[in-house]
Amino acid sequence: MRVMRAEPGRFNGVTRSSVGTAWRAYDLQLAVYAALLATVGLVMAYTNSIEAGNAVLASGTVFTRALLWSAIAIVAFLLLTAFDYRWLKSLSWPIYLVNLGLLGMTLAIGDGVGGSARWVSIGPFTFQFSELAKILMTIVLAAYLGNREGRLDRLPSILGAVLLMAPPWALVMLQPDLGTSLVLAAIAAGMLFMSGASLRWLAAMALGVVAAVPIAWTYVLKDYQKERIASFLSPCTDIRDSCWQVYQSQTAVGSGGFTGVGLTNGAHLRGGFLPVQESDFVFAVLAQELGFLGALLVFLIFAALIWRILVAGWRSRDPFGQMFTAGLASLLLFQVFVNVGMNIGIMPVAGIPLPFISHGGASLTSIAIGLGVVQSINIRQAKADW
Amino acid sequence: MNGYLFETHRERDRRPLRFVTFGLVTVLVFGTLLTRLGYLQITNGQTYQAKAQQQITAEEYLRAPRGLIYDRNGNLLVSNVATFAIKVNRSALPFSRRADVAQRLGNLLGMDPSEILATLDAAPGSRFDPVRIAQDIPEDTARLVSESGDTLPGVAVEVETRREYPDGALLSHILGYTGPVDAATLERLAGKGYLPDDVIGKAGIESTFETELRGTYGVELVERDATGRDIQVLRTTQETVPGASLTLTVDRTIQREATQALKWGMKAAGLKRGVFIAMNPQTGEVLALVSLPSYDNNLFAKGISNKQFQALLNNPDKPLTNHAVQAHYPPGSTFKLVTGTGGIQDRKITPDTLVETKPFLQLGPTRFWDWNHKGFGACDINCGFGHSSDTFFFTVAGMLGADRLAYWARMYGFGVPTGIDLPGEAAGIIPDDAWKMNAFGQPMFEGETYQAGIGQGYDVVTPIQLINAYCALANGGKLYRPQLVREVVAADGTVVKGFTPDLIRKMPVSQATLRAMRLAARSTVTLRHTYNLVDMPVKVAGKSGTAEFGTRDAKGRLPFHSWFVGFVPKDPYTADFTKPDSQLVFLAFAYDSRTKGNAGTEIAKAFLQLHFHIKKDYLNRDLLQRGNFYQSN
Repeated sequence: MRVMRAEPGRFNGVTRSSVGTAWRAYDLQLAVYAALLATVGLVMAYTNSIEAGNAVLASGTVFTRALLWSAIAIVAFLLLTAFDYRWLKSLSWPIYLVNLGLLGMTLAIGDGVGGSARWVSIGPFTFQFSELAKILMTIVLAAYLGNREGRLDRLPSILGAVLLMAPPWALVMLQPDLGTSLVLAAIAAGMLFMSGASLRWLAAMALGVVAAVPIAWTYVLKDYQKERIASFLSPCTDIRDSCWQVYQSQTAVGSGGFTGVGLTNGAHLRGGFLPVQESDFVFAVLAQELGFLGALLVFLIFAALIWRILVAGWRSRDPFGQMFTAGLASLLLFQVFVNVGMNIGIMPVAGIPLPFISHGGASLTSIAIGLGVVQSINIRQAKADW
Repeated sequence: MNGYLFETHRERDRRPLRFVTFGLVTVLVFGTLLTRLGYLQITNGQTYQAKAQQQITAEEYLRAPRGLIYDRNGNLLVSNVATFAIKVNRSALPFSRRADVAQRLGNLLGMDPSEILATLDAAPGSRFDPVRIAQDIPEDTARLVSESGDTLPGVAVEVETRREYPDGALLSHILGYTGPVDAATLERLAGKGYLPDDVIGKAGIESTFETELRGTYGVELVERDATGRDIQVLRTTQETVPGASLTLTVDRTIQREATQALKWGMKAAGLKRGVFIAMNPQTGEVLALVSLPSYDNNLFAKGISNKQFQALLNNPDKPLTNHAVQAHYPPGSTFKLVTGTGGIQDRKITPDTLVETKPFLQLGPTRFWDWNHKGFGACDINCGFGHSSDTFFFTVAGMLGADRLAYWARMYGFGVPTGIDLPGEAAGIIPDDAWKMNAFGQPMFEGETYQAGIGQGYDVVTPIQLINAYCALANGGKLYRPQLVREVVAADGTVVKGFTPDLIRKMPVSQATLRAMRLAARSTVTLRHTYNLVDMPVKVAGKSGTAEFGTRDAKGRLPFHSWFVGFVPKDPYTADFTKPDSQLVFLAFAYDSRTKGNAGTEIAKAFLQLHFHIKKDYLNRDLLQRGNFYQSN
């Protein structure tokens, strides 16, 4: 990992390549897919606001807050696109330290349910820095792995990545936020895999993780987390208690049928049967109101977006680009899988949002930052080899 | 390393296989999700739609106002009043806070916390059905409870109606009361729309006419949110039908007169229990029915405490028992009506046959004494019945035999419940050979038949059976079912059920026989067996009775009940008992009366004085003084 130092060519990217070149390298598809998903998110925020009985544009509703965060996300996306991503490699240590600082601050002054510390309130806004940590750690890890290209099949590289991830991971676990810690692990795993790290060592590490499960169960996991996993593993007997959420979301999803009941028509949801239906369980609302067809369409857009991100990595002649895109694709794929999975009863309940669609400014803004970086990587391929 | 742009020609270490693998994993992930989605939404979509629908809808019951009850003159005997009740929704009360909530609630309501917890545990229904903890609580207490919402999770104040009985104890044994439905009853009535916190008629008319009074609870299909709050009514599946109102045959004024007369007699004679009944023999309508001691049915309507209830249960004089209907006693000489009727109708004697009455009849070693130990000489039915000669009726009973005597008793309605509109009616016992064989393995001995002929021995009857038998005498042989309800009127004013006399049987007795027995009953009065009853301006025929029961005292004397059952002609001031036109039969029963004279007769006289507004006082208070003696049999 290199320390920050002057980079002679750092402004050359903008000065040398004309706007036209940049535009040709700009991935319009990626931007369109992201915009479509963000729109789906706004639509879901709208339907949830209506079902909560709010006027559409009343201040402070899920919908108006989603509009505001969308604007912020667009600004973040554009800023990061314009920003030369190569600076990030130089800034990786400061970014790492800032990330640790934010997570530490969250632990110190954050609020959350049941004595946890998950988000920080800034004026009327609350912000979940663990969401930002996902992107920041992707940047830091990409810089680290990119710098070690050629030595990536060796154990020290893998161990170095693990050591780098350990402190923020521990801070997230202390909140406690099992979901984010799993996402961080997934990002690291995806990046190591795509970087070409030795499969043998990766497999060995995976075995180590499996071996650590009993220890984690005894010493790390909180009771409510154990309960969620236990209730996932055992069939629901009393829908009023631990199975309530799972039962309700599956009922909502199933009752949507092939074409759905139509936006704002989820009477089941209107009655408040499904807690956190605007955030972690928004997919259940989507599946009920838009049906199998709606869900299929959303999946297709997600898959297309992940494809465009991977394409950006394939084209990038800078190892950082490949690493970063691998991390971002892993993040999206893992979060979609776990979030949708828990909505339809094939994954245990963990606090992992559905990218773009779950209500939450931190998640949307962080992904916008990540996609901005991907566009920045795209348009700075001066001599594209196609 | 002068900027990455200049390194682009270096061949990067791309790994196509891993890209392809990542792509395959992506396809696998979305494939898995879509498979499961298809299973939920397409394969099982219908099932989940039904589940979702079932979850958001609930049937809500709309309680129908309970029907009112009037006396025959339109006086309101029962009304519904709005009260505050405290209910607990157990599903909303965390287990860890139960003790605390019970303590707080106990303090507010002045109840024992353990009693509250016991009620919660014993309540039928599911955890989501509210449990009534207290009812009829004062408004300020209700306000306090509803304002302590945070400290009392799951506790709610509900406005509900309860029964109010303005006359209280006066009509308790007729009206009965309502109370919370218990678990066993709820189970028995499953499917009839009873709610776990429902009230149900538990005694009296409230119980026998439960279906009519309750009406039909409305049912609405409502959309509910997750907390159980109603969002909207989807449709009404059952309209609410208010309960029907009842008009009783009972006349509250006569009930008051009867109660006042009975209370006077019981107080004067120092009695613990008594019964007074008045009926119209032409229809079987019960005009008054008093059983003392009584109880205040408002106690039950307001929610009786365990202590109060135990006190009523443990009272040796059984105030909760309707002694007119639910208990049976030896009828004594009043039963000679049966023996006399049977003797004449079976042609063992004629009304003019003279029977030589003696001090006693000898049967083997046993002497069956007449009550005065002298006899009355040669007696016809008027003399025998009028003086209540025991040897006369021993003789006639012997002529009839046990089975024939029992047959005539059953013809008069003894031995089976009359079918009056009250719960828990006793049947009484009329012994015959079959009964005796069944009970003791032997046929009736002749001496036992003698005893049965004067209403002693095994014979027991309920007061309502006895008065109903005399009604049949007074009306010319029609045995009607005694009725308490004249009309059932639906809430919209239509008469659901009007009054028709309910004939049990036309007795197989000639009018001549009954006429002879009515005249014999008049002789009871005219021969001064009932002292100065004959002097009263109203003309009465009837029969007194003194029935021994229990165990002998140190002097070998038995305690006794005293009866008087009588009737007046249609024109009560003209002594014409030849016609079966009486419209008033009355019965007085004094339990365990150890008086010089017959307390029943004096109570009947007290009633007649009140009912016919007789100014002159004919009551013989000295006869009600204590003195255990067969004064008037």
